[in-house]
Amino acid sequence: MIRSEVPGSIEEFHAAVVHECESSVILGAYASQRSAHYLFADASRGIYELSHALGEDRCLRAVSGAVAALSWDEREMAQERGIRFESLPDARPLRDRFGVMPQAVVAHGEGLMHFVVGPVHAGIIEPGRFTISSGGETVVHLDAQLGYAHRGVELDLEGEDAREASRKIARICGACTVARSYAYALAVEELAGIEVDVETDLVRLILAELERIGNHLSDLAASASGGGWNPGLTRGLGLKERMMRLCDRAAGHRLLFDSIVPGGVRVRDLQMATELRALEQEVFAYLDALFGNASLVSRWHRAGVLSHAVARAGGAVGPAHRASRGKVDLRTVLPYGAYRVLAPKTARAHAGDAFSRCTVKRDEIVESFRLIGDALRALGRTAIPQPVAIPQISGRTVAAVEGPRGAEIVAVHADACGRLERVHVISASYRNWPLVARAMDGNIVPDFPLVNKSFNLCYACADR
Amino acid sequence: MTTFRRSLGIRHLVCGSCNGCEQEMNALSNPMHDITRYGWDIVASPRHADIVTVTGPITTAMRAAAHETIDATPQPRIVVAIGDCAAGDGIWKDAESSGEGAVAELGARVVVRGCPPAPEAIVAGLEEASKLLG
Repeated sequence: MIRSEVPGSIEEFHAAVVHECESSVILGAYASQRSAHYLFADASRGIYELSHALGEDRCLRAVSGAVAALSWDEREMAQERGIRFESLPDARPLRDRFGVMPQAVVAHGEGLMHFVVGPVHAGIIEPGRFTISSGGETVVHLDAQLGYAHRGVELDLEGEDAREASRKIARICGACTVARSYAYALAVEELAGIEVDVETDLVRLILAELERIGNHLSDLAASASGGGWNPGLTRGLGLKERMMRLCDRAAGHRLLFDSIVPGGVRVRDLQMATELRALEQEVFAYLDALFGNASLVSRWHRAGVLSHAVARAGGAVGPAHRASRGKVDLRTVLPYGAYRVLAPKTARAHAGDAFSRCTVKRDEIVESFRLIGDALRALGRTAIPQPVAIPQISGRTVAAVEGPRGAEIVAVHADACGRLERVHVISASYRNWPLVARAMDGNIVPDFPLVNKSFNLCYACADR
Repeated sequence: MTTFRRSLGIRHLVCGSCNGCEQEMNALSNPMHDITRYGWDIVASPRHADIVTVTGPITTAMRAAAHETIDATPQPRIVVAIGDCAAGDGIWKDAESSGEGAVAELGARVVVRGCPPAPEAIVAGLEEASKLLG
């Protein structure tokens, strides 16, 4: 559900957006054919937007001068949708289109040097280019230039029947596929005017929490590796493999692709309670081993600090936000599906460093196991729910789901024939990437892998 | 029974995959699959590689870097397309900034299908590549 407000003049619009940025959760901004949409959320108003009708000239006053959090959104609106911004502070295109990256931003000063890593990295990592300005070992500035995974998925989706686009939506990003499929399903179901049954909601919760556990395990394993403790990586990857096998049995796909579709879920076996309990015990023992390793934990402390002020101003979401004293978890702030009944306890930490982010993920894993257990008990021996048919849809809405890395948002515009006119995806990684760069300020260069892995953001859903 | 003829250095090159394939490539190193027991290893530089595994449809932005990486890999080398996107008919094949995949664009001689392929299928593909290397 989205509530839309249309302030009058461009001055009023600009002032209203800046005001909302200070008082609400910033979801993001995008342009459609005729309007610019700035999206926010809070507990009392839900998801709401301030929109501005675009004239022939497609001119708009930039907000990102006052609100740095929206810098990427406005750069993208300018590049992809031809918005002509007045006073856009960073007017570089957001991403490369023709094989030439825009110039990186570097710091200049006596004794400073610059070096570039990427887009091809040494490990099995998605492509991105990082330009580091450093004085000795200390990072003075890091410019993250992404876009190498840009396939053009939003344009590709235009014209598809909204009911049949879920296969593509699931393949925008393989790491937060369940969360994005869930958000898309919620949007389509809202436009279709249907609600799924309680059993479907419970199964969706199970799938979303399985994805969260798998992702958090990968992140913690990578953070152990980033801290130089290889057994922590190997053991974590082993547990991730066990999770993937469990997902394969439950839904016929190791990464749960296509398990949530508009109208329902596609799963085949939910008799996982016994195995899940055994796995839970092993995961807990693993978490104890990680956090009981003093030399590893001391590497995590004070690495990559994202202060509350920077996180807030930069629009951090998910564990990165909650590790910097943030309180927002969409599962509790804007509860959807089974989260309206089975609410998670919000995991939080205060220091904003790699340790805090790992702590939040650890606590969320524990909570996810509990939620899955509760959902499985609530389901009991009921038959696995089957998807219901969706009538043709039209109209527009925005849906948001708390994925492993934070808010996963999908805006859907469907025309009168039920075809997608415009789809916009705002991923948690897209929101958080600029903050990884800020978290590196003042850290030593060799800590970049550790700091980066403590966020462990995706590139595919940020680049789209 | 398979006779393993040689060790392999594997360089992984991501060209716009959704990262589903990367999760399965990462699974090759977990304790269940552990490809080091075959004498295979994921290496940090193309200079150390016999095989370049490629995922994704080859996006416009990655094309030049992909060619440079392959060119930096000494002969004999085999390019392996991992997943449907790299095979050339993945879900984003018609998207504006997607290319033709690793067979058409980078001369991949081995193709591992799947979205994403399971680790066992990737291992089978690497074995096929190892035979081509002789």
